[in-house]
Amino acid sequence: MGARVTADSVSKSYGGGGGGGDESRAAGVDALAGISLTLEPGSFTALLGPSGCGKSTLLNLLGALDRPTGGRILVDGRDLATLGEDERDAYRRKTAATIFQFFNLLPTMNALENVALPLLLDGAAPAEADARAASLLAEVGLHGKERAYPYELSGGQMQRVAVARALANRPTLLLADEPTGNLDSKTGTQVLDLVSGLVQERGITVVMATHSVEASARASRVVRLLDGQLLP
Amino acid sequence: MTGLRPGFRSLLGPLVLRPAAKDRLRFLLTISGIAVGVATIAAIRLANASVLSSFSDTVDFVAGKAGVTILADGPGIPEETLQRLAWVRRVGATLAPAITETAAAGAADGEVVEVLGIDPLADTAAREYSFAEEKKEEKIFLEGEEGEGHARAANLSSIFERDSVLVTSVFAKRNSLRPGSPLHLVANGIERTFRVAGVLHPVGAARAASGSILFMDLAAAQEAFGKVGRLDRIDVVLPPGLSEDDRARFEEEIRASLPPGTTAGRPERRTETVDRLVRAFRVNLSALGLIALLVGMYFVYNTLSISVLRRRTDIGTVRALGASKRSVFTVFLAEGLALGVFGSAAGVGLGVALAKGALLLVGGTATELYIPSAHPSLHLDPLVLLFAFALGVATSVLSALAPALEAARVDPAATMRHGSVEAVRRRRTRPLALTGVVLLALAFALALPGPVRGLPLFGFLSVFLIVSGVSLLAPAAVTFAAARLDGPALRLFGVEARLARANLTGSLSRTSVAVAALTMALAMMVSVAVMVGSFRTTVAIWVSQTLASDLFLSAASGKSGASFGRIPDEAIAVVRDVDGVDEVDPFLAFGATRDGVPFTIGSGLFAFIAKHGNLPLVDGRDTRKVFTEALGKDEAMISEPYAEKFRVKTGDFVELPTDKGPARVRVAGIYTDYSNDRGTVTLDRAHFQRLWPLTGAVTVAVKLKDGVSPEEGARRVSAALQGRYALRVRTNATLRRLVLRIFDRTFAVTYALEAVALAVAVLGVLNTLTALVLERRREIGLLRVLGASAARVKRAVQYEAAAIGGLGVVMGVLSGGAMSLVLVHVINRQSFGWTIAMHAPWGFLAAALGLVLLATLAAASRPAGLAASTDVAAALKEE
Ligand SMILES: Nc1ncnc2c1ncn2[C@@H]1O[C@H](COP(=O)(O)OP(=O)(O)O)[C@@H](O)[C@H]1O
Ligand SMILES: [Mg+2]
Repeated sequence: MGARVTADSVSKSYGGGGGGGDESRAAGVDALAGISLTLEPGSFTALLGPSGCGKSTLLNLLGALDRPTGGRILVDGRDLATLGEDERDAYRRKTAATIFQFFNLLPTMNALENVALPLLLDGAAPAEADARAASLLAEVGLHGKERAYPYELSGGQMQRVAVARALANRPTLLLADEPTGNLDSKTGTQVLDLVSGLVQERGITVVMATHSVEASARASRVVRLLDGQLLP
Repeated sequence: MTGLRPGFRSLLGPLVLRPAAKDRLRFLLTISGIAVGVATIAAIRLANASVLSSFSDTVDFVAGKAGVTILADGPGIPEETLQRLAWVRRVGATLAPAITETAAAGAADGEVVEVLGIDPLADTAAREYSFAEEKKEEKIFLEGEEGEGHARAANLSSIFERDSVLVTSVFAKRNSLRPGSPLHLVANGIERTFRVAGVLHPVGAARAASGSILFMDLAAAQEAFGKVGRLDRIDVVLPPGLSEDDRARFEEEIRASLPPGTTAGRPERRTETVDRLVRAFRVNLSALGLIALLVGMYFVYNTLSISVLRRRTDIGTVRALGASKRSVFTVFLAEGLALGVFGSAAGVGLGVALAKGALLLVGGTATELYIPSAHPSLHLDPLVLLFAFALGVATSVLSALAPALEAARVDPAATMRHGSVEAVRRRRTRPLALTGVVLLALAFALALPGPVRGLPLFGFLSVFLIVSGVSLLAPAAVTFAAARLDGPALRLFGVEARLARANLTGSLSRTSVAVAALTMALAMMVSVAVMVGSFRTTVAIWVSQTLASDLFLSAASGKSGASFGRIPDEAIAVVRDVDGVDEVDPFLAFGATRDGVPFTIGSGLFAFIAKHGNLPLVDGRDTRKVFTEALGKDEAMISEPYAEKFRVKTGDFVELPTDKGPARVRVAGIYTDYSNDRGTVTLDRAHFQRLWPLTGAVTVAVKLKDGVSPEEGARRVSAALQGRYALRVRTNATLRRLVLRIFDRTFAVTYALEAVALAVAVLGVLNTLTALVLERRREIGLLRVLGASAARVKRAVQYEAAAIGGLGVVMGVLSGGAMSLVLVHVINRQSFGWTIAMHAPWGFLAAALGLVLLATLAAASRPAGLAASTDVAAALKEE
């Protein structure tokens, strides 16, 4: 059963001068300004908006990769802000899986090891993890590619390995950040078909960030984002 | 060239300067890595050059204006030689005969001074003297213009009454002496009182031995030092305006009129002799320094290849924008050059500081072992500094070559992904390992041939090949070890083991370099520790076998601790008559040369050794029998270093220089000797004294009667000598301790070097891991997204460090073991000529290796912490 996610006036601003940020020097960027949103279990939501509107920021908050500067996020009734470090790690391991546009795989591990990684991290026995990873790879159509390293795979194949890995620990929430942004449209469509098929089978709640209207067509619901705010 | 410049300059910013500024710590580490190597080499060379230059200065100052110097191969030049050479005066040359000696000033343990006994009338022709008092600027100098010169020479000789000495102003100041002050000198076990007749400005001969030199009348010196009828040197001042050909012909004519056992040549040749003496010592130390530099080289390679790897996309972009292959290559080479220049500059500075310390050690050892009267002071030879600097820069540029080539090969599109680059490198693992095996086989083969001109060049090459061969095996070893981290270790250590494995093989080029650097440093430490440990144990055993007597006497020899001077026969007789003394064995020796190579001719009582059997023979024959036979047949015994150095075997004949021409003596056997590497030919005392008119002894071994304790014996002997002779009396136990103390001090510098190399290698692991963590920021971010906790990310880095450290230790021990075999059986044997039995200092090794593993793990804590604190969201955003 998918997760129920509620965002309540969630905001995120990147304060200037906060150490470590060698990327952006701008002081006080409001990436998200009071987002309120509820995602029903098993729903497939597309987060549509131009580059820089705050899609990734929102997904990172939902995935507990970052903390909001205001508001609350409840997942199945639990406030993410109340989770300790260990619980956040466990949340990422078990509840919310993430797929990115680029760099989804560890380049130093082969496909099987990439998929087995979350299982092992969650304490599975190595043999068990390998078996499940192999069956997941077969499910995404990569039977025979278990030993291939990422650099030996095409973009579409890499993304499929990422999907298999995202599903490894049976998450209830899948966060996909422009998963097809780096693929040609045909491959992109195949990956989207795969994702929607797999999540529907499992009833996983999906949030997919995209700036392509085509991609958002596959979703059961489209939410538009502009300059950190939801469009009605 | 013109097209290259602007391209080069515009690339410097984006490809080198900005990244370097961003990654300051790693660059600082690299620079310090080079600096340490350069500093070590600079320090060793500076210290060595200082010792030698103080000696060669002394040689020059003493030689003065002499164009030819006559020296003895044996124990002195017969005084009659002056008559044989009288003809040179007729052609306008001057002869300045001299006695050179060493004495302790003030008291038996006072300052060591050189004493030059000169002929005041003739000497001003050769050497310059300038008096410090009243008639201040008056120089006494004779250059053939008879009249004026004679007046001044008379001035010099008038000061020379019996027991008068001239001292230098430096020495006078140090000892608060003024003209008229009494000065006690202890020489040959006898204390005498002299009177200071004048103080000399630090000009000419007074500058020799840094001013620790005294001048006295030739005849007085001959008497005081037991050299009546003998001279140590004759300086020949040639007539002015001689061409080089004339000079050579003159030298030839002089040589023709010399008696046997004396040689004529340029004065400088004494320096060469000393240089040969300390050469093996210096070469061995320098080889250690080179290994330290090799580790520094790895640093540069490491840093630059990481730079290239991380900037692949940038390189691709600039190539796409039209930058040429050549300018990309040059930019990275320039980076290596810059690292080399900064590192070497820092290294030279550090080296000067280190040299001050090393001078105390090397200088102490070298002077103690080889030149007791040298007074080294730090001499900053610009050539040495330049050499160390150039070596540092050259090695960094050399190690920058491969990464720079790789950078030039990046194609403009830069489509290659990190993984595929490493994959290409992984494919090289096998050929590299095969090359490594070939090099190791070659190393084995090179351990077999003999020395080249007295130096174990093939041995050094063999060690170098072991180091290189093992380094080439590092990628294979890392791959092998990493594979072990997966299987069963996965169940044992969890997924972190797999992460560590993935990181190790995923960045194989970097991790294997770190392993190789650590291996190298450890191999060096292990091999030197095993060598020194074996040597020490061998020496300790040998000392306990050979020091069979209860007491050992030597002429008091000043505070330097080296012994010089002889104990007079009368003193030996006094000791023999002491109640409780059973037997005495006087050892008498002098320095000689064979084909310009120095060795020692010694003598003892063969009957004494035949009775006590205390000198083990190399071939294991019975000492008592061999010595008894040698005694009967007037045969010689030679020390192992002599046999090695001159390739002499039992049954061969050796030629020894005497006044009546070379004496041919048959070698009856070879005995083990670790007391010096000069090599000694030992004769029975009576046989020796028939060949050379020498008396007394350098050392005297005393056997006490049963029931007399060494302490009691020492007390009685000292009491008998009291007030008459200044001798040093040591008991068996103190001498043993002293031998081992000198041994330890000699090798202290090698321990210091090892510690430095190890520190550098551990820093290398820190450097590599830090770089890898920075490089893997995104991967770490991804791991965190997948739910790996910070602690696990940290642990993975620590496992990686442990694997690198463990591999380094295992490979270091194996290759260090192989290297120690070469060091002991090839390098030491060929450099010094002695056989050492292997005795590994297990306890020390275990402690040191454990410490290295701990240090590696400790060094890993910083990069591990860095990995743990990676900001997930930010890391993922990086492109
Ligand atoms: N670490 C950061 N520091 C400062 N500003 C940031 C940071 N991450 C994102 N932003 C800013 O927040 C806004 C939203 O970014 P993001 O969520 O990445 O947009 P999207 O994914 O929709 O393209 C942008 O204006 C971006 O510049
Ligand atoms: Mg985005």
